[in-house]
Amino acid sequence: MVVAPLLGLAGVEKVWPNGTAALRGVDLTLHAGRVHGLLGANGAGKSTLIKVLAGAIPASGGTVAWRGEPVRWASPRSARAAGVATIYQHIPLVPTLSVVENMLLERAGGWRADRAGRARAEEVASLLDNPFDLDALVGDLPIGTRQMVAIAQGLMADPALLIMDEPTASLAEHERERVYAVVRLLAAQGHAVLFVSHFLDEILSLTDEVTVLRDGRAVLHAQTADLDEAAIAAAIAGRSVAALERRPRAERLPLNPPPEGEGDRRQRRWWRGSAPQASSPVENTRPPACGWPPSLSGEGLVLELRDLASPGRLAPTSLTVAAGEIVGIAGMLGSGRSELLHAIFGADPAARGAVLLHGKPVGRTPEDAVAAGIALVPEDRATQGFVAGMSVAENIALPRTGLFQSPGQEREAALAAIERLAIKVQGPDAPVGELSGGNAQKVVIAKWLTPDTRLLLLDEPTAGIDIGARTDILRLIRALADEGLAALLVSSEFEELIGICDRILVMRDGLVIAEVDPETTDEAALIQRASGNFPSTGMAA
Amino acid sequence: MMQTTDWRAGLGLRKAGIYYALLILLALLAGIAHSRGLPAYLSAQNLGNIAYQASLVGIMGVAMTVMLITGAFDLSVASVAALAAAVLVGLAPSIGFPLAALAAIVTAVSVGLFNGVIVQFVGINAFIVTLGTLTAVRGLVLVLTDGRSLMVEQPEVLQQMLAFESTRVPLFWPLLALAAALLAFAGFRRRIAPGLSGIVLAGLALLAGQGFAVAAPVVYLALFTALVWAVLRFTVVGRRIYAVGGNAEAARLSGVNVHAYKLGAFILSSAAAGFAGVLFGCRLGAINPTALQGAELTVIASAILGGTSLFGGAGSVLKTVAGALLLFTLTNGFNVLDLGASYQGLIEGVVVIAAAAIYTVGGDRRRKAVAQ
Repeated sequence: MVVAPLLGLAGVEKVWPNGTAALRGVDLTLHAGRVHGLLGANGAGKSTLIKVLAGAIPASGGTVAWRGEPVRWASPRSARAAGVATIYQHIPLVPTLSVVENMLLERAGGWRADRAGRARAEEVASLLDNPFDLDALVGDLPIGTRQMVAIAQGLMADPALLIMDEPTASLAEHERERVYAVVRLLAAQGHAVLFVSHFLDEILSLTDEVTVLRDGRAVLHAQTADLDEAAIAAAIAGRSVAALERRPRAERLPLNPPPEGEGDRRQRRWWRGSAPQASSPVENTRPPACGWPPSLSGEGLVLELRDLASPGRLAPTSLTVAAGEIVGIAGMLGSGRSELLHAIFGADPAARGAVLLHGKPVGRTPEDAVAAGIALVPEDRATQGFVAGMSVAENIALPRTGLFQSPGQEREAALAAIERLAIKVQGPDAPVGELSGGNAQKVVIAKWLTPDTRLLLLDEPTAGIDIGARTDILRLIRALADEGLAALLVSSEFEELIGICDRILVMRDGLVIAEVDPETTDEAALIQRASGNFPSTGMAA
Repeated sequence: MMQTTDWRAGLGLRKAGIYYALLILLALLAGIAHSRGLPAYLSAQNLGNIAYQASLVGIMGVAMTVMLITGAFDLSVASVAALAAAVLVGLAPSIGFPLAALAAIVTAVSVGLFNGVIVQFVGINAFIVTLGTLTAVRGLVLVLTDGRSLMVEQPEVLQQMLAFESTRVPLFWPLLALAAALLAFAGFRRRIAPGLSGIVLAGLALLAGQGFAVAAPVVYLALFTALVWAVLRFTVVGRRIYAVGGNAEAARLSGVNVHAYKLGAFILSSAAAGFAGVLFGCRLGAINPTALQGAELTVIASAILGGTSLFGGAGSVLKTVAGALLLFTLTNGFNVLDLGASYQGLIEGVVVIAAAAIYTVGGDRRRKAVAQ
């Protein structure tokens, strides 16, 4: 049986005016009724390829054939008219309009109230299992629901091909399942779906075929049934990735630390060989390695919360984190996990209760928190983490206090960070806005790697980051903890928590409901605990 | 913000265009003056005049630039300057010049504090709040002056005020000394930019001749600009000002007290307006209630000509001063060369839009390259 492909790309190239080649000859064939997975590291050319397919940018070379006819879409409009709908990762919705009006944005016609359009919107919404109220204001919706609105918007015109750029990156588990169900349904109805994702497991379970991009070329094209995670990961990275395996605790925290271990630890730190500070409370305060959970008394205690609460967001929470300890927080979107970090950091003015660092109360503003040695790596890099127009060196120097800038030292610190964190960038003067997600995130983390930092709060540090950078970042966090930092790590990737944390707290509805030992739990058990038997829409909503 | 390693980019149209525009305009006007047989346009005297005319707008423009960099906006500066002038002229006869000047600046600062508190803590858009104070403060000036012109009649007080404003400061040797210092620094640290500015300054001083002197406000403008430039360029405060405008949330989560910086910008803007008002009051020893009306638009136009973004995070006070000089060179040229005053507004408006277009088109191309 020979079926003409819906879309065929042959040798598609894209060279930017500045000479950078983003695509160097990509072949891709999409069939109706099939789900095609597209993978690649950040910067491999996925976004560029999607933009070419969506008609947002013209290709510099190669051919695009749509239903067997060569086409050259001049604008997103003509691509949409042909039947290609694209759902971008950064959801382009109008927050001040209602859901239904966002869904109808593309519809022609004279009147704002459009009965036929509304009927179609209701139809699409019921296809998606009505995840939202059609008349709700998009700006009021949580990000997961907005993603569903974006998908609904793409489905309005009943496209032959639906391109989804990381549709699940910002979604909680139960929301993802809904997206998967929709993708399967669409494929069954004869639509073609191009599904872009970082998550290997969902690519394997969801797609029929897979294409992997690397450096602007399609390096792997295969039927999903013939692949496994390792094969895909190897194709993405171009080398075999050492999977993030949990090392036994005894191996990580030796009972008798090596002689140079404690005292010289600071000296070996990367920033500029700061001298060991004998008086520093972080020194010599590793929790006893064998006695788990670590003893929470004495000097090893870095962070202590006493009934920290925020009305409507966070129930009174008391917990402790010791030096060298990574405490994971497992919870679904809206479970209060980010709210907890913000409350600790003083970024939530409504928060009440006590935050103690090394036994001393910390003031309730971010300035006080930073001055005390608390650092936050926020959830949304682009809007909370870095200043896009500023250089790498300037972003890293942002928490610096004092009177004068010191370009020499700041450059040196930036160069050291670029080397230690393997940040792919031309140099310390390059604007952070030009970096890919993983590299920008490394800059946000590098900002806090100063000798003054005692506690790292990490909110989804690996979201939307390719597998190589993700492993880099997780290894770095573990290494920093092994050097004596305390860390609180929030992640939707529970395997990450199991991989590097010493303890995991499970949150639901703004409340810490359980503490688990990562060595005796697995991902499925964590998901079950965190999601419970009913959708978590309690006080956090 | 950062030193550019590629200094050629620093001389490109987008980075240095305002300086080229100023030079081309001066050359054009000089050519017209020469062809019409008028006295030399590029005389030290005339250039000093242009700088003098631009000084008040320049001082307010420098503070406005800081304001715009933090991502806020201040429409009330001209009204605040007029209020400060009214306070000065009204109080000087009874409490003397220095105290009256202090009172004028304190009054101005309190308006800035009011603006800032309303914007930051009530959360109303700066455009709306300062549009309100623009009108209300002008109304207050009318109330204080009872709608008439005020004058300082005591000769000794008037003398002090004139001395503060109209003293001519000889600049030949100071300029040469500054040029030498810049050149020495450039040679020592192997930097291009200070060397170029040193050469330009030395050339200016030598062209102007040994008797070169300017009115005091020009020196105040130069000192204020140099101070603000140095703070923005060299201090942590400066970087944080850019960060607050570039991404307030990222700055806040990096431990920057965003409220304090934004509030500080309002206070600086009003304090500069107050100082400009004091200079204005001293110029004539008198104030009429409509003084400086509409000047806020010239101030903002200067900043826009200098490439300051209205969305925050970018801007340069040196270029704002160049922008103010360009606008007043246009005015001065039209007057001196008698080119028809009716065309003046039209051409000024076109120049502002053209400049904004150059910055936006250039910036867009860069942003697109970044996005993809």
